[in-house]
Amino acid sequence: MSKKKKQGTNLLYNMIAEANSYDDVIVMGRGDPDFDTPAHIVEAAKDAMIKRHADYSPPEGLLPLREAIAERVKRVNNIDVDPATEVVVTNGGQEALFLMVVAANGPGDEMIVPEPNYNTYADSLAFAGGVKVEVQAFAENDFRADPADVRAVVTDKSRSLLLVSPNNPAANVISPADMREMLSIAIEHDLIIIADDIYDLFVYDNFEHVSPASLPGGKERTLTLNALSKAYSMTGWRLGWIVGPADLMARVRELKAAISGGASIISQYAGIAALTGPQDPVEMMAEAYRRRRRLVLDALDEMGMSYGVPQGGQFVFADISFSGLDSGELAQRILTEQHVLAYPGSAFSKDRKDYLRMTFLQPEEKLREGLERMKIAMQSIMAEQQS
Amino acid sequence: MASQTKAEILRQHQSNADLNTPIPAQVMRGQNDLSADGIIRPLDERIIAATAEALESGQTHYVDVPGIAPLRAAVADFLGSFADAAYQGGNIVITAGMQEARFLSIQMIGAQFDNIGIPEVVHPGARKALGTRARNVISLPVDAEAGYLPSPESIAEALAGGCRLLFLESPSRLSGAVYSDQQVAAISQALAEHDAAAIWDQGLAVWVDDSYDSLAACDSEAERVAVIGEAFPGMGLASWFIAYIAAPEAWVPPMQSQKQIMSICTSTASQYGALEASQLYRAEGNQQLASLRQTRAGAAQLASDSGWTVLGGAACNIIALRPPGGVDAALTDLRAAGYDAADGALFGAPDIIRLTVSNSTADALRALV
Repeated sequence: MSKKKKQGTNLLYNMIAEANSYDDVIVMGRGDPDFDTPAHIVEAAKDAMIKRHADYSPPEGLLPLREAIAERVKRVNNIDVDPATEVVVTNGGQEALFLMVVAANGPGDEMIVPEPNYNTYADSLAFAGGVKVEVQAFAENDFRADPADVRAVVTDKSRSLLLVSPNNPAANVISPADMREMLSIAIEHDLIIIADDIYDLFVYDNFEHVSPASLPGGKERTLTLNALSKAYSMTGWRLGWIVGPADLMARVRELKAAISGGASIISQYAGIAALTGPQDPVEMMAEAYRRRRRLVLDALDEMGMSYGVPQGGQFVFADISFSGLDSGELAQRILTEQHVLAYPGSAFSKDRKDYLRMTFLQPEEKLREGLERMKIAMQSIMAEQQS
Repeated sequence: MASQTKAEILRQHQSNADLNTPIPAQVMRGQNDLSADGIIRPLDERIIAATAEALESGQTHYVDVPGIAPLRAAVADFLGSFADAAYQGGNIVITAGMQEARFLSIQMIGAQFDNIGIPEVVHPGARKALGTRARNVISLPVDAEAGYLPSPESIAEALAGGCRLLFLESPSRLSGAVYSDQQVAAISQALAEHDAAAIWDQGLAVWVDDSYDSLAACDSEAERVAVIGEAFPGMGLASWFIAYIAAPEAWVPPMQSQKQIMSICTSTASQYGALEASQLYRAEGNQQLASLRQTRAGAAQLASDSGWTVLGGAACNIIALRPPGGVDAALTDLRAAGYDAADGALFGAPDIIRLTVSNSTADALRALV
């Protein structure tokens, strides 16, 4: 894998390392919710340590967990899956993402990727030897990827279509009409859909999330990932899943056995508690994100930054071109001078040097301080530009 | 209309023999499952308490990609004291289990070399990891009489023929056989002569009933040998999926990047559990080894008295046998009696079965003879 292809991942890694060295850092970069894992989930993990610590788990995960996942994707996403053959438990959404991309793509295969997008998709595709074909979307349209643009880039080498909704980093939610059109393109050109639903519980205003696998003709060609990290504040537990048609899932299962084997038994029992236990902590967190989103957007308005209105997710992708700086330089200055970590758009795509991704995964008081510090940094930079 | 794209994906998948290689379970599925890599052990209350305390104090978030610093340091200390290896915490990558350690080391260290030498008889997880992305593989012939390890002479021959990276197990995951100190020195010398490198799986070394010689001990500057293994086996953490890679400094960044891409970090509960296990390991490990030594010796005697060939193996947690009536008949009889064993064919040795050494091993053998 070339150094260039891994540039985004390494850039973020270095910035995280620097951020960790500051005692007063305010993290508005990494997608790690500030909430602790709900107490009943931690209790379930403790119980599992005492009673089930040595249970065997097949690579695809414990059946009771797969059953809970099947119930969840039916309830939330309207996808019908057989827990015996159509669910694989993974080490977080990240492993799910890697497995889906490698399962669907081989050397020379093209994956159509609406941009901007999470950099790990490109890194995973590079491992598989595939080729990324980008479709651009912009802030002025709230980062809507136009299905017509997707259709225009299909070739005889096209193998798969990535649909991340809500999108990371741009926070766009694919509308039901667009999702139907995307599926129709996939059917027409016989593409596998790689669907990332990880932010499906965090959709704002009147926007609506639709899983492509829930639409007629969608399930048989769609691999869908999700995880407990964002919805239950369980990033450190590393638990996610893929659902899809049994034939493709057999391949996913073998790949899972090849790269890691299974997920920690303790995390799996915690996952069962998360999915089958009380859901009010999820609603509490979603409500907090709604308030914080408003707070961040108001602050960006005050700073004169334009952005795509985040329709879902836990972040905003803001246009910083007025600063005259490349997003890597700007993010570095904000981090070094004000100890605020925001991710440069260039970490997501070489064409997004004019953007910053800011998460709203901090308590409101800290977010206010972070935004205030960011404003000070921006004023200083603008003063330099004018002098 | 049926999807041609799916059909093509499935055709490629089905033709990938390495990827479809079955592998043994990582831990026994019950007391009578003697096919697994790991044994069921009680979990010390101190490990439960330390892990619970970490979770309750908020250690439920992402941690550093290569692992929490105290665990990396503990693994480096362990390798230094146990195997006289020269690694520091910065050389360690904590992985989500042994298979992730195989995958990351074979694929990411492997990517820095033109080819990789793999023994003809090896844990099937190594072949499975190779099945995820094509590599130029050189097959290393093994010596059945030496517990199916490639001899130092055949290794030297492969290196002279252009092989530049070796994947070696000591103890063998099939037989438990180990390289002697002279053999380890000869392999090390051959690596240096050919400016080659090695991935050395010593995960079973803690079960060796004698002094153990690691290739890492000959790599005093930690320049050409990466070591992989389970983190503190026998402490009841087999189902927690926690292992390590210890590697020369220059090899760590690509593995760290790939770890970020494929799982970000290893479960915090597993890491804090392993950290506590590192404190308890020396005393607990010695007690378990004494018990396993006795159990294995009893099983070996029983098998030998019944005309089975017992392969020489130094690791007390497994026993490899050559059944006089053939493997298929032995496996069938074992299953009929309610026991499972690992088929040596999975490892590349179709005339061998491998049994996990536990309280049930002697009962299983008695059921056969």
